[in-house]
Amino acid sequence: MRVSPIKGHARLSRWIGPASAWIAAAVVAAVCFFIVGHIVREGYAHVDWKFLTTDPDPSPAESTGGGVRIPIVGTTFLVLLSTLLTFPIALGAAVYLAEYMDERWAVTKAIRLGLEVLAGVPSVVFGMFGVAMFSHGVFTFMSSSGAEGSDVAFGRSFLVAATVMAIHVLPFVIKVMEEAIRSVPLSYRQGAAALGVTKWRAIRRIVLPAAAPGIATGVILGMGLAAGDTAIVWLTLGGTMNMAVDNWWALDQIVNVLRGTGSTLTTFIYFSSPAGEGNAPELAYGGAMVLILLVITLNAAATLIGRARRQTR
Amino acid sequence: MNESLRTPAPEADEAAMLLAELDRQMIRAERALERNTLIDVDNLEVRYGSNVVLRDVTFDVPANQITAFIGPSGCGKSTALRCFNRMNDEIRGFSMNGRIQLGGQDIYDPRVDVTELRRQVGMVFQHPNPFPMSIHENIALAVREHNPRISRDELDGVVEQALVHANLWDEVKDDLKRSALALSGGQQQRLCIARALAVRPTVIMLDEPCASLDPISTARIEELLLELVADYTIIIVTHNLAQARRISDDVAFFLMGRLLEFGDARRVFEDPLRRETADYVRGAYG
Amino acid sequence: MSSEYVQAGGSVTAPPPSIDLTRRVRHASEHLAQPLLWACAVFSGAVVGVVIAYVFWYALPIFSRQALPFIATGDWDTAIDMAWTEPDVIFGALPLIAGTTLTTLGALLVSVVLGLGCAIFLAELAPDGLRRPLEAVIQLLAGIPSVVFGLVGLSVVVPLLSGLVPKDAYDVVTDIPLEGDSLLAGIIVLSFMILPFFVTVAVDSLRAVPRSYVDGGLALGIDRWRTITRIQLPAAAPGLLAGAVLAIARAIGEAIALSMVAGSIAFVPSAKWGLQYFPFMPVRTMASAIVETGGEGMSIPLIHDALFGLAAMLLLASLVLSLAARMIVSWWGRRLALDTGRSL
Repeated sequence: MRVSPIKGHARLSRWIGPASAWIAAAVVAAVCFFIVGHIVREGYAHVDWKFLTTDPDPSPAESTGGGVRIPIVGTTFLVLLSTLLTFPIALGAAVYLAEYMDERWAVTKAIRLGLEVLAGVPSVVFGMFGVAMFSHGVFTFMSSSGAEGSDVAFGRSFLVAATVMAIHVLPFVIKVMEEAIRSVPLSYRQGAAALGVTKWRAIRRIVLPAAAPGIATGVILGMGLAAGDTAIVWLTLGGTMNMAVDNWWALDQIVNVLRGTGSTLTTFIYFSSPAGEGNAPELAYGGAMVLILLVITLNAAATLIGRARRQTR
Repeated sequence: MNESLRTPAPEADEAAMLLAELDRQMIRAERALERNTLIDVDNLEVRYGSNVVLRDVTFDVPANQITAFIGPSGCGKSTALRCFNRMNDEIRGFSMNGRIQLGGQDIYDPRVDVTELRRQVGMVFQHPNPFPMSIHENIALAVREHNPRISRDELDGVVEQALVHANLWDEVKDDLKRSALALSGGQQQRLCIARALAVRPTVIMLDEPCASLDPISTARIEELLLELVADYTIIIVTHNLAQARRISDDVAFFLMGRLLEFGDARRVFEDPLRRETADYVRGAYG
Repeated sequence: MSSEYVQAGGSVTAPPPSIDLTRRVRHASEHLAQPLLWACAVFSGAVVGVVIAYVFWYALPIFSRQALPFIATGDWDTAIDMAWTEPDVIFGALPLIAGTTLTTLGALLVSVVLGLGCAIFLAELAPDGLRRPLEAVIQLLAGIPSVVFGLVGLSVVVPLLSGLVPKDAYDVVTDIPLEGDSLLAGIIVLSFMILPFFVTVAVDSLRAVPRSYVDGGLALGIDRWRTITRIQLPAAAPGLLAGAVLAIARAIGEAIALSMVAGSIAFVPSAKWGLQYFPFMPVRTMASAIVETGGEGMSIPLIHDALFGLAAMLLLASLVLSLAARMIVSWWGRRLALDTGRSL
């Protein structure tokens, strides 16, 4: 039986496609490494103990001075506060959507659609919404009173920023949590039901503990979003560098701090960059390095938790 | 051979060994001529990582016959099949020893154009896998790949001919633009056969093609294979002993990575040489 | 067991069971849980409604005052300056809309071309030793805050581009000074901000293509690359398109980074002086106009209204894009996956 030859010459055209994919990947990898390397190279020289423990000094004359203590505290504060506001509601909503929701019901359909759509809304829109909404007089308790004699609130404070940030990350956190709850094997629920355990007790004792790592991942990713956002902070935290209260660490000042303005690492970077009023790029890079370390740590934590979860399954 | 060169053995030994090897090759070649061998498998060994899944496999597939690979799950029959069109190359950790020749050409020669090999050695999978495209495009896609300058009319002709050969034309001729995924399982499988025929292969390999089909669709495919064998060499992996009995000329029985028995189908089924084959054919395991 | 069931002869029969299937557990938590959870979900939904309604409601004044000229005419920067003192100013958001559109489309083009290659590499071609590190750095890129992108863009990309501005630009382009911080700088920075996002979605949708399609292509003698482009990419198309649409949604909302690198002048770029000047024209996007002016300008009613007009357009665009992505996946995806439940 004769068969036509199967040996062939390698055609050049066959390599063009794969080669272009390799090149694209190489370009992306190079840019990634360049960005991270650049930030580390520029920021490393400026991150020391003094930089971390002194407050920003926004006077133009001393643009090279000052550190990031207040911005670090501000970021921490904002992230914790918004997480505190998000967590219970997100968890409740996620449990409802995953376990109780009747897909046929119009209200629940609308909620799901709304959350999905809101997850794509730019943070600058939330910032606008926040500063306008909380400038109404009724919300004076969240910030301070605005112009003399008018029924207007200042609309910018840690409380306002944290609330707006919570709204911004809420859809995303709910989504991650819902997926975590849904990924708990159905057999767990069936096992509990077969033993006569009621639905809520099964959720609390079996489903939620099993979904705990995924829920934690959602919280951490939400923290990362909050720590990295600039637009909301710039619009709703006051656009200043320092806090309204000097002795912010004192416990009896807590209400004033919450109602007062402040800064975070992102606004510090914006302010210190050549685009901002501070114009001290070396400080901006110092802040950027601290911020990136924070975000990387959060992301790594989320990844580790995710991996641990997969291994226990 | 190298061993004998290094040892201080007399030249006579070397010559004797050479002669013996030559003799062996001659015998194989003669037999191949007699049997009109198309695929010649010599001492095949396959590993996935450190796992040996096939060893000591030597046999030959004659042209224009149906050769059936039988054996229980995990015996290596699908692995052997996938060696013939080098689909195993896609699997991580795959490595092989030995030689497989298609019409006298070593298919694992580094100079082999794998796409040309796969054009000549068509394959139909266990589950029908039409592409998510129209019926026409399912066939036209690969034809155009191998013949980029084909005209529209010629292409339509090739598509029609392939569908006619696969006994599918009458059922689909009015809606070639329809999605192939809307066909029934049996129709999809015949479309996959048509797709393989359209690139004018020499061999058609089918890996348990009826595993997910109902008895009527299965019968139609078997009928089709018996028609096609006049023009093509067919290798079929099957779990279904009755099917192998019905359609195959030669049967290869695999067990735990070894080829235990190979020969004329009737002989293997009615008068197996080995106890394991007898047990399997009787239905003792598998 | 009590002794009354022991019958004569010593045999024991079970007591007749008393089962009351209507008995209900009466833990307070059982009754509280569901309404409470429902309240959480409804509250979350209500928040969505409030945000959307608020933004659209407060955008009404500018649209009822100016109607079409708000989006069709071209004066923004001077209008904002005047609005601090003058009582009646006409705003024109056209340059901002042009800025947003141009930066978004440019960045989309770059990130889709680069991202598709990268995704194919990650999903199909990369050896394990390269795939894992590349996936890790792309995740890292996704985590870098936008202000940091702005900073790097401002101190690396902008100086680089300012050297490339045509030398005669000052004499030829008389309307506007051309600098390194420009449309092109904005596109470059924005590309790499949306790239990780697109790559992640693209890799997922490529991996979701059933392996049997790829095997089928290879077995027909179609080579690896052609199998990817002719079979795998079309099958993954709905996911890829949805990813691109969501990437657009991200790009139009990007504020800080673009306000840092794209020139921050509300200007409609024009090619009337020659195409070589076009990339170096400054732009200002809707989102950056909000973040730049909103800090202090919100107390001026005119500016407040104008910015809400911008916010409403951004919100509308992102709503439309999210819904579009959803529909693409559900309609087109369902058409492609027709009957696959049975056959695959």
